[in-house]
Amino acid sequence: MTEGDYRHLYVVMEHEEGKLIPVSLEMLGEARRLMDNFNKKYSSEEKVVAIVLGHNVRKICEELIHYGADDVIYADSPELEYVRNLTYTKVIGQIARDKDLARKVSEEYSKKFKKPRYMFFAADSVGRHLSSTVLVELESGLASDINKLVVDDIEVTHQHKTNGKATKYNKILEMYRPDFSGFLWTLILCLDNKNPSIEREYHPQACSIIPGVFEPLEYDASRKGEIIEYHPKLEPQDLKVKILSRNIVKSEIDFGRYKVIVSFGRGIKESPEENIKLIEELAKELDAAIGVSLPISKKPYSVTERIKSTYMIPDRVIGTSGRKVAPLLYVAVGISGAMQHIAGIKESDVVVAINPDENAPIKDECDVFIKGRMEDVIPKLIEELRRQQPKIRA
Amino acid sequence: MNPTLNVAAIVKLEPDFSEGSVTYNPDGTLNRAETKSTLGPHSAVAANAAFYAKVKYGARVAISTMGPPIADLALQQAQLISNADELHLYSDRIFAGADTLATAEALKTGIAKMEGKIDVVFSGHRASDGETGQTGPQTAWKLGFPFLGDVIDYDINLETRMVRAKRLITLQGFYDIVEEVEVPLPVFITIHPSYRPLFKTVSERLAFEKYQKEAKVRAANYKQYLKIFNAEQLGIVDLSLVGLPGSPTIVYKVERIPKGKANRNAEIIDGSNSEAIRKVIIKMQEAMSRMVIR
Repeated sequence: MTEGDYRHLYVVMEHEEGKLIPVSLEMLGEARRLMDNFNKKYSSEEKVVAIVLGHNVRKICEELIHYGADDVIYADSPELEYVRNLTYTKVIGQIARDKDLARKVSEEYSKKFKKPRYMFFAADSVGRHLSSTVLVELESGLASDINKLVVDDIEVTHQHKTNGKATKYNKILEMYRPDFSGFLWTLILCLDNKNPSIEREYHPQACSIIPGVFEPLEYDASRKGEIIEYHPKLEPQDLKVKILSRNIVKSEIDFGRYKVIVSFGRGIKESPEENIKLIEELAKELDAAIGVSLPISKKPYSVTERIKSTYMIPDRVIGTSGRKVAPLLYVAVGISGAMQHIAGIKESDVVVAINPDENAPIKDECDVFIKGRMEDVIPKLIEELRRQQPKIRA
Repeated sequence: MNPTLNVAAIVKLEPDFSEGSVTYNPDGTLNRAETKSTLGPHSAVAANAAFYAKVKYGARVAISTMGPPIADLALQQAQLISNADELHLYSDRIFAGADTLATAEALKTGIAKMEGKIDVVFSGHRASDGETGQTGPQTAWKLGFPFLGDVIDYDINLETRMVRAKRLITLQGFYDIVEEVEVPLPVFITIHPSYRPLFKTVSERLAFEKYQKEAKVRAANYKQYLKIFNAEQLGIVDLSLVGLPGSPTIVYKVERIPKGKANRNAEIIDGSNSEAIRKVIIKMQEAMSRMVIR
């Protein structure tokens, strides 16, 4: 590869009927920080380019500049009003390879432009699938559910990539992905095959980003940038998925309606059935919704069918793999405090944790840490709540 | 009689996260060596969706997986759910270490070798170990099938060869949306974990029972239905598209996530001290009685 082939960071925005999904601005914030460092480090002027598809979306493009994009490329058509994987993949694929658009983004870097250097998508219902198909279309690699990003030059020795020889890779996007336990980071790299027998270039280096992790930038109306329209080339077969209807549904578990949430994690393991019943009782006293940590949704314990189908389900998961919550009171029972879980509860007003292990990470993420086994502590809490109940009702 | 519909499901052998099978290291991470393997729970949902097509439309069902020879266990378990007519295992040392792009290449090639022209491919929402959720959509794109994700319900009109599906879309900070779409066959569907097939008519229920019985017999003799392919038998011409050579991404290293700085300053309470617990309750009640202004 020559240096000029892959330039800029393209960030695929998400919105629902013209209202930006928060993760869009979070991605732009991180993109801005990353590329500011990049340009300083490598004395370059590569851009953060926001990609917007939709219908009547011109108005959100300005906003994206104010939130950190250098340029916005948008495609506006009734056919793009709602996300259809097939149609969107085609259009984003076209935009990513378009030399003319690249010229409008930067004349200087457009001569040998093939594809973006980096790409970001949101790791949600839409972006997770879109990133997968777009990266097949662009014939490159993808890392999912990332929560830390660094650009650096590194030396790699790899059996296949480098034929076992220490080889320098420049401007590599280091993509860190927390594993399901939340305690390990897997560092994923998308690297060209430099081994002569399987030589191949893999760009863009792309990832999907966990919502709720990165901070958006402050709105700054003085920021300036180009807004570039793209007219997609769509064939009838790109439009063969027809949307018949779209209906808003309420999740059965609507955490937003509750002032209090009681959640439990693997700490229930000694006697899952009994402990969950205790937690139910506590939740009832507090008029609380019940949430779970991610490992619980994998149904790790043998419990009655009622308990399993009510609680050990993805819909109850709180954290970056599930819902973000912000109750007045959050009670974490037997939850160690993996970072994905914490990211989902950090907006809570008061956090109370019940845990026998004072070294559990949750200790640094709560306001009150009750040291003890839930079997002992919860009955005490319930007793005290019942004693005080008349006062609350008054 | 020729089936009017051919469906396939791609499945995966995964760590068994159920009690007694799963083992964690002292630091809370999964102990892969000690943990047993099983058909992934989302794969089971995909097999269930294929079974629905068998009961409802008399579809021919094929199930495939890529993995080591022991991955035939996942195929057997999926056959028990789906009463599959054909089981495919893509197994070759060269496939080892594949990322999702290289996995999708092998699966795509295998699906093309199934009996009959495949009309619908199902996959699970994501694997419970890798959790990327990428292999399904990437296989779809390589096949050139329109991709429908998070499907909670589907039906097929055999006359018009159209699929109608309901998808559940969940977005950060927004309401959930159920979207109904229509698309001509062939199509690739990933099934949402909440999918529950419903059999309403008497004939469907009878077919359901008949096929379930048959599935037990078949799964007990699953090797009769099993075809094992290595890369050459699959007809993969360019071996640099599969396995490690065909994987753009690598896992460079795994490290412990360093403990961040404390975001809150916890008051530590002894859980056996009733007086202290009383104070906690008062604090909790104060929190609950605050005005909700957001």
